[in-house]
Amino acid sequence: MTTYIIALVLGVFFGFSLNKAGLTKYHKIVNVFRLTDMAVLQFMMSGLVVSMIGVYSLRALGAITFPNIPATYIVGNLIGGLVFGVGMALSGYCPGTCVAGGGEGKLDYLIPGLLGFLVGAILYGLTYQLVFPAISAMANYGNITIPKLWNVNPFLFVTLFAFISILLFYLIDRAGLHRKDNNQ
Amino acid sequence: MKKMIDYIKKEIWSPYVAGILLGVVGVLAVWLSDNLLGASGAFENIAGSVGKAIAPNLFDNLYFNFIMPPGLTWGVVLLIGVFFGGMLGAATSGTLMWGKKGSANSDAQWKRIFGPQIWKRWAIAFIGAIILEYAAGIAGGCTSGLAIAGGMLLAPAAFLFIAGMFASGIVIARLVYGKRY
Repeated sequence: MTTYIIALVLGVFFGFSLNKAGLTKYHKIVNVFRLTDMAVLQFMMSGLVVSMIGVYSLRALGAITFPNIPATYIVGNLIGGLVFGVGMALSGYCPGTCVAGGGEGKLDYLIPGLLGFLVGAILYGLTYQLVFPAISAMANYGNITIPKLWNVNPFLFVTLFAFISILLFYLIDRAGLHRKDNNQ
Repeated sequence: MKKMIDYIKKEIWSPYVAGILLGVVGVLAVWLSDNLLGASGAFENIAGSVGKAIAPNLFDNLYFNFIMPPGLTWGVVLLIGVFFGGMLGAATSGTLMWGKKGSANSDAQWKRIFGPQIWKRWAIAFIGAIILEYAAGIAGGCTSGLAIAGGMLLAPAAFLFIAGMFASGIVIARLVYGKRY
């Protein structure tokens, strides 16, 4: 029961952050691909920097062990990402932002979005055995992390990632990486 | 204090402030309940529940029995929370759309580019959503379950996924927007 309450509360904060970042709006998602508004990237990367520092520090302190690390199988991860980007640019959402947008009362999120995910999930579940074993067998590294793969100290990598992110944020904010938008 | 309340009420926060909140939520999920954030997986659980109720024989396969079994999983409860989180966020800025005119085609930029027809928005969004969920299955997660949750653990899979997502997203946005890109 406690674990469900935690899930519900964390879900509320998760959906809240998606709403406040503006990601529950079609134009915010598609404009990152038009390179006119980088909020999606800024949101994702700052979230990654904070959470990387958090989980690696907590693990070093012995407070947590990592849950199942998402598996790396290069061809499938990449193809999946490529196909996912198509869906994102067309619909202007991803599964999480669509649910949060639905909570805001947007019917173009609530109805075609949730129905589409259900249909997609059914199609995937029914074709899983035809598709997944073959794709995931190619260049499969299992539940690996970059520090393990390259045999480097994770904190070195986290620091590097944080510096790259801050540099990118600086470029986006100061040097005017925002392309002029003809549609505003 | 008043300044903080005023900030919370803003419709759009700095993406960095919202991102920090996202990061903290991602860490707490692991710390408090040994789980990873995610969204697409929960739809697989829900699809399994729906499918097994309607056509039990068809859905009696390896995937819906063992890989993504149906039921009220941690991820499904998280997703219910996300729904109310979006609602709460919009409520604090007074931008809730429930019962409002325009809630069926909610984005001004969409309407300016593609017109006000609701069927058009819904048809493209529906197809997009099918593609999203299927792709998340192949990749091993979506923007939350793979890009954020996998990225924070430094799984190479997450960065491959993000690279693919931006590459094709840019191409499709160019195609869809044409001269107006």
